[in-house]
Amino acid sequence: MPIGSRRRRAAAAVGGNVPFEQLPYQCFQEARKVLQADREEKVRLIDVERQRIARLEAQEPFPGTPAQKQLRLQSMRKHVEYLKVQADINDPMVKKIFEDGKGDMSKPVYRHLADRKWRSYRRLLIMQRIIQMNVVPDLLPHIDPVIDLSISFRGKTAHPGDFVESTLSEEAPILKIQPFDRGERLVTIAVVDPDVPVAEEDTFKHRCHFLACNVRISPTSPMVKLADLDQESQVVHSWLPPFAQKGTPYHRLAVFVLQQPGLERVDLEVANSKAAQRDGFYLRGFATRHRLAPTGVGLFRTQWDEGTAGVMHRAGVEGADIEFKRKRIEPMPYKRKDGSRFR
Amino acid sequence: MLLPRIAPSFRAASNSASRAARSPCSACTASTRPTTTAQRPRSPPILNFVRNAHHKSEGRANGPKQGPGKRLGAKKTGEQYVIPGNIIFRQRGTQWHPGENVGIGRDHTIFALEPGYVKYYRNPDLHPKRRYIGVVLQRNDVLPRPPNATRHRRLGMIAVPRIDPDTTAISELESDALAGIPSLPTAHEAVSSGTATDPSLSKTSTYAALQPREHYRAANWEIGRAPDRAAESGTGPERQRVSPHKFVKKDRFAALKARKARAAKIAEKRGAMGQRGPKGKDKKKRRRGR
Repeated sequence: MPIGSRRRRAAAAVGGNVPFEQLPYQCFQEARKVLQADREEKVRLIDVERQRIARLEAQEPFPGTPAQKQLRLQSMRKHVEYLKVQADINDPMVKKIFEDGKGDMSKPVYRHLADRKWRSYRRLLIMQRIIQMNVVPDLLPHIDPVIDLSISFRGKTAHPGDFVESTLSEEAPILKIQPFDRGERLVTIAVVDPDVPVAEEDTFKHRCHFLACNVRISPTSPMVKLADLDQESQVVHSWLPPFAQKGTPYHRLAVFVLQQPGLERVDLEVANSKAAQRDGFYLRGFATRHRLAPTGVGLFRTQWDEGTAGVMHRAGVEGADIEFKRKRIEPMPYKRKDGSRFR
Repeated sequence: MLLPRIAPSFRAASNSASRAARSPCSACTASTRPTTTAQRPRSPPILNFVRNAHHKSEGRANGPKQGPGKRLGAKKTGEQYVIPGNIIFRQRGTQWHPGENVGIGRDHTIFALEPGYVKYYRNPDLHPKRRYIGVVLQRNDVLPRPPNATRHRRLGMIAVPRIDPDTTAISELESDALAGIPSLPTAHEAVSSGTATDPSLSKTSTYAALQPREHYRAANWEIGRAPDRAAESGTGPERQRVSPHKFVKKDRFAALKARKARAAKIAEKRGAMGQRGPKGKDKKKRRRGR
C-alpha cells in the first residue's frame, strides 16, 4: 500500500518538478490563500502610507516646527519599513530561502531575519567576550554593536576571543562587515592591541596593528579584504602581524568598525597625525576627534608560540630576543615587637 | 478528695491478697499490707507536693558559652601598603566584598593581589548595599573609579634576554615562508636540534618520526639495531649476534649441554679465585671453592 494521501501520491507520481507554491495539498493551498490576502492588505497599507508621506512633504504651511515635521516623516518611513517586513515575513518561500542562506540582503525582510538571527546568538557571544576580557572599557567607554563582524585568516574563521597562531595571522584577515540597515556607508576599521608591555614604565600601552578609513560597505557587499584596500585613499597603517613577546600575558587584538558621520570622508593627512601613530594609539581619542560611532566589534587573541620569532623577524620587529619574567616583589619586613611585652 | 485515691489502694491490696494464694513469692508482702493501711489514722493527710528545683543540663536553654576569639576583623587599615597575599580582612561571611586587585578566600578572607594601597569603599553603580575593599596602585587613586574608565594595570615583569634565541630556527622559518607554507620540523631538523647526540646513532635517526608524546626521535627498535648497523658498516666493534638459536623447551639435550657449560664456567671462575687466594672469606666458603 503506498504511503500518503491521494493528493500526495498524485504529486509523487508527477515527480519532484511541482513548484513549491503549486503543491496539491488542500490545507496548504488554503493557508496560502490566507497569507496572500494578508500580504495584499500589507501592500495596500504601504501604498496608503507612502501617499500620506508624499502629502505631508508637499504640505507647505505645516502647523508646527520643521523639526516636528521631520520627526513625523521619520516615524512614517519607519512604519513603511515595518510594513515591508510584515508583508513577506510569513511567506514560507522567504523562510526557506533565508534558511538556505540565499536571502537577498537588499530586501528588507531578509535583512530583518538576518538581524534577528545575529542578535539571537552571535551578538550575545561577542558582547560576553568583550566584557569578560575588558575590551570595554579598556579601548572604548561603551559600544552597542549593530553590525555583524566576522574575521577570517586564510579561510579560517577566528571566533570571538580565539587564540590565533602567529603564523596564521601574519597575513591580513578578511572581514565580513554585515550591516542590517539599508544603504551604503563609510567606515573606519581599526585593529588595536591594548596589551603591549612597557617594562621601563611597568605598564601596558596600546598599539595599532591596522587602520583604514573611508571603507565603503553596504548590506549587499560586506566582504572587506584588508590587504586589498587602497594605500593612498584608505589605509593609514598597513597590517602589522600581531605578536606577543615570550612571557607576556596574552594580547587581545580588538577589531573595531566605526561608522563615519554621513558620507563624510576622513582626511588621511589629519588621521595620520602624530596622535595616531602606531605605538601609543588611543582609539578613544581617535574616535572622538573624527566623530566616529563604534558600530561593530570583533576580538581575537595572540600569545607567544613557535612561529612568533619568525613572524617578528620577517615583519622587521625587534624584541624577539627578549623574554619577560615576573618581577620579584620584596616581602614586607616584620615589625619588631617590643621585647618588654614578651614576659 | 484524697479518699477516692486511697480507696483504689485498698482495692489493690485486697486483690493482691486474693492473688497471694496463687503466687507464693509475694505472699509475705501481700499479707502485711492490709494491716498497715488499716492502722493509718483517719485524720486529714498532709499534702506535700514538692516541686524540686531542677535545670536542664543540655539544649538551647543554656546558650553557647563564650568560646575562644577567632581573631576576625581588619588586618590592614585604609591606605596601608600591602603586597600580594597580604590578608586585609578576616570575616565570617561577606561583610566586605572583594573589589579591585583583591581576592577572596574560601573562608571569605580578603587578600591583596597587587602591591599597593588598601581602600575601603562603596560602589552604588555596582551594588547599592555592598561594601568593598580594593587595592590601588598609586596611593592618591580614588575608588570607585568613574564608570567606563580604563583600568589601571601594572605589568609587574622585567625584560631579560631570551634563553635560547635560536637564530637558525628563524632562518629556516624564513625559507619556509618564502614557500608560503609554515611546516612542522622534519626528522632532519629534529636531529640537528640535538635529539640524537650520539654520532653512532646518526644513521638511526634518519628514521626519526613523530612518537606518541609528540616529539621527534627514533623508535626504540631502531635504537636497538644501531650496534648491528655499526658493525655492518665497519664503524663499530664486532658484535656477537644475540640468541642465534631459538629456545626449544623439549630439547633436554641442549639443556644438559647448557647446564654443563655453565657449571664448567663457574668451576673455572672459582679455580681462578682459588689461585689468587681467598681474601676475607670464611673457611667454609674457601673449602667449597676448592
